[in-house]
Amino acid sequence: MKKIVSNSIDWLDHRTGIKEVLREALYERVPGGARWRYVWGSALVVAFVTQVITGIFLWMAYSPSTQTAWESVYYIQHEMNGGWLLRGIHHFMASAMVVLLAIHFVQIVWDGAYRAPRELNFVLGLVLMLIVLGLSLTGYLLPWDQKGYWATNVGTELASQTPMAGGAIKKLAVGGSSYGHHTLTRFFALHAGVLPGALVAFLVLHLWLFRRHGLTPKEPRAGPDVLFWPDQVLKDSVAALGILVAVMGVVVYTGGAELTAPADPANNYAAARPEWYFLFLFQFLKWFPGELEVWGAFVIPGLIVGVLFLMPWIGRSRVGHFFNVALLAVLLGGAAMLTVQAIQDDTLAGSADAKFEESGLTATPENEAAFNASREFLRAKRDALHHAERVVDLAKTKGIPPTGALTLVYEDPYLQGPKLFAQNCASCHSYVDRDQPDPAIAFLVNEKPTAPNLFGVGSRKWIEGLLDPKQVAGPDYFGYEGSPFAGEGENTEMVLFVQDDCFGGVLNDAKRAEIKGALKKIAAALSCEATLPLQREQDAQDTAMIAEGRVLIEGGLADLLESGTSCTDCHSFGAQQDIGSPVLDGYMSRQWMIDFLRNPADERFYGDLNDRMPAFAPHDNPQLNQLDDQTLGLIVDWLRGDWVRAKPQAAGDAGNH
Amino acid sequence: MAEMKQDSQADISNAGKNRRSFIAILAGGLAMLGPIGAGILSFLSPLFRKAASPQVRVALLDQVPDDGRPYFFRVVADRQDAWTSYSQQKVGAVYLVRQPGDELPVAFTAKCPHAGCSVGYSAEEQKFKCPCHTSSFNIDGCRVNGDKEVSPRDMDTLEVVLNQVAASDSESVTEVLVTFVDYKTGHSEKILSE
Ligand code: FES
Repeated sequence: MKKIVSNSIDWLDHRTGIKEVLREALYERVPGGARWRYVWGSALVVAFVTQVITGIFLWMAYSPSTQTAWESVYYIQHEMNGGWLLRGIHHFMASAMVVLLAIHFVQIVWDGAYRAPRELNFVLGLVLMLIVLGLSLTGYLLPWDQKGYWATNVGTELASQTPMAGGAIKKLAVGGSSYGHHTLTRFFALHAGVLPGALVAFLVLHLWLFRRHGLTPKEPRAGPDVLFWPDQVLKDSVAALGILVAVMGVVVYTGGAELTAPADPANNYAAARPEWYFLFLFQFLKWFPGELEVWGAFVIPGLIVGVLFLMPWIGRSRVGHFFNVALLAVLLGGAAMLTVQAIQDDTLAGSADAKFEESGLTATPENEAAFNASREFLRAKRDALHHAERVVDLAKTKGIPPTGALTLVYEDPYLQGPKLFAQNCASCHSYVDRDQPDPAIAFLVNEKPTAPNLFGVGSRKWIEGLLDPKQVAGPDYFGYEGSPFAGEGENTEMVLFVQDDCFGGVLNDAKRAEIKGALKKIAAALSCEATLPLQREQDAQDTAMIAEGRVLIEGGLADLLESGTSCTDCHSFGAQQDIGSPVLDGYMSRQWMIDFLRNPADERFYGDLNDRMPAFAPHDNPQLNQLDDQTLGLIVDWLRGDWVRAKPQAAGDAGNH
Repeated sequence: MAEMKQDSQADISNAGKNRRSFIAILAGGLAMLGPIGAGILSFLSPLFRKAASPQVRVALLDQVPDDGRPYFFRVVADRQDAWTSYSQQKVGAVYLVRQPGDELPVAFTAKCPHAGCSVGYSAEEQKFKCPCHTSSFNIDGCRVNGDKEVSPRDMDTLEVVLNQVAASDSESVTEVLVTFVDYKTGHSEKILSE
């Protein structure tokens, strides 16, 4: 057996010279013995190999196009076995690589290991460092999520400001005049082909020169020389394992790399920030207002990198070496300071709902502006997280259509409703749950509403409020500013009906309770007309009560009231048609609401009594309308709490976030 | 192996060696030029394409009351992205502001002149604010702190025209059309990006 092995090795060696190569590679002399401080270079190689391995597996599942990039990364992250782990290792090892690079670099400069004859190797190392940063920049975009998209967008905009060729550089990087498929295909080709290829080429040169000149031993030598194999290799391997364990720990602890919502060119991502190791540059740019930007973005960083390349020659003298070490300290210290500052700027407010007055900051306009900017950032961050979770839920429950996940976003009432409401409704209406206001949609609370509060519209609770003498003329229903339906208004019939016809006069407790009970049934019957998805079960259970309610609406209520009036004295409903409006059949159902939004002045609704509500789509030709059918549908579905839910939720939380 | 090479070189004539080397390099170079040239040509193709700058209907005039407040509208237009044709896709956003008594609104593109982030509007502070590097602009689009602001220029206005369309029932509605173009970021003047 042994013989066969040694024979085959000989055979191979005769044809390839493998023995010599192995001897060269492994039996390198390590002056002064193996040491932990020599592990950083090889740790970097291991980190790179990890990236190649995980990268190739990711490649097998990734598809670079605007309809498939996020989608395929979503699939890796949430559907494939161990996909989150694979992507997590790739993501966090990239960060680890930057840290390792910094350590390696500091050590080389500190030890003066760039001195002759190793200058060229130092230069190669710097080139490698730039390639790694390039890999990081290109990789950030590939998931095509909001974070990567907007952060990279700032990057390419800056590139477009390069003196002279900026426009062309940007176009070539982006693959057109705006972001699209070719941005992804180009970035991916760079990330998975060109840059790793260049990295391997330079790494081979770097290692070859390293072998040629040997280690820069730390004096005084700790012991006798040893051979690279196995003493130093042992230390290197242990270090590699340590790094991998650390990275895996972070992956498991964080649950893997973040995937924010799918990139949306029309939707700003206010929490866009570069990867943490570029934060210092981001912060640095804030110092350069206006056209000085080129200085911050190109000239100064360019000069600094230029000086780094010259370090081996500057460091020839003692003073020069001292200068190099000092420069490095200043640069690293400065970068650390800027990074901390960037984080502090963003987190100044503490929380997304913080108030400036309570922040303890001195009330200067600058402080307030800084505080507000930070709060905006934190809000955007919170919303983005929420948004991302929602899209993932949608993808899991509905599946992703061929047009991509962005379609899910734009067809989801839950995500679009608040925005559309803010844009089209919130200048008059409020949307707030009085019991549990949701801070995330605080922007929908109208302090001076001129129309009813639409939270939970059509639900039993909402209708019960409408039929409550204490609430009907309150600000959430008809008692808003300038209302024609309450107070001094001209059309106060409904309010008066609830307040006086139902509960006016002298009522004993039993009568009062009876009327209250009747109104409760009416509310249930009317609310059943809305067929709210969240009330479906309740409606199915309470059929008897709803039937009673219908009878009451159709005239039965008149028997209970002294005035002898009921709903159908004014409204059409059920058997009582052609009486008046708003028609109560299908009240607050999807179609009823859509028709209402189209034209509230229609005779089915408020007719001439409509004094303020715009007709959003009165024309047959959609071009002439303010809102299209899809938008109307989204607003209505959102108001009705009609959206896909990942987990079944308790009834009655319509519109709850 | 090494000895073999020397042996074989010894009896080879050197006549015409320079010429042969020259031709070898030339032929080899030409052979590579084909694929590299074709690659570079296709790589550069974005440079030969012009961005479309369509006039887009962004709103009806009724949606922009003349109360001097900014109203946000998405710009929806047909768009070609390499091999995909999108009909009616959201390609950007604008703010329309109409001062009391004015007929014509002013349109600001939401793209920040600094580095292209989307500028938001804070109703509380009545200012446009960029989330990226904290540029802020007044409602008229001017930078709040003038040249001290990170942004090199005020917000970019877009050309606006009104278009009357007859509705079926003898009334007419007024559309707001905006020429949605892209300006280069980072300069103190407005320069159209090609
Ligand atoms: S992109 Fe708006 S301030 Fe930088």
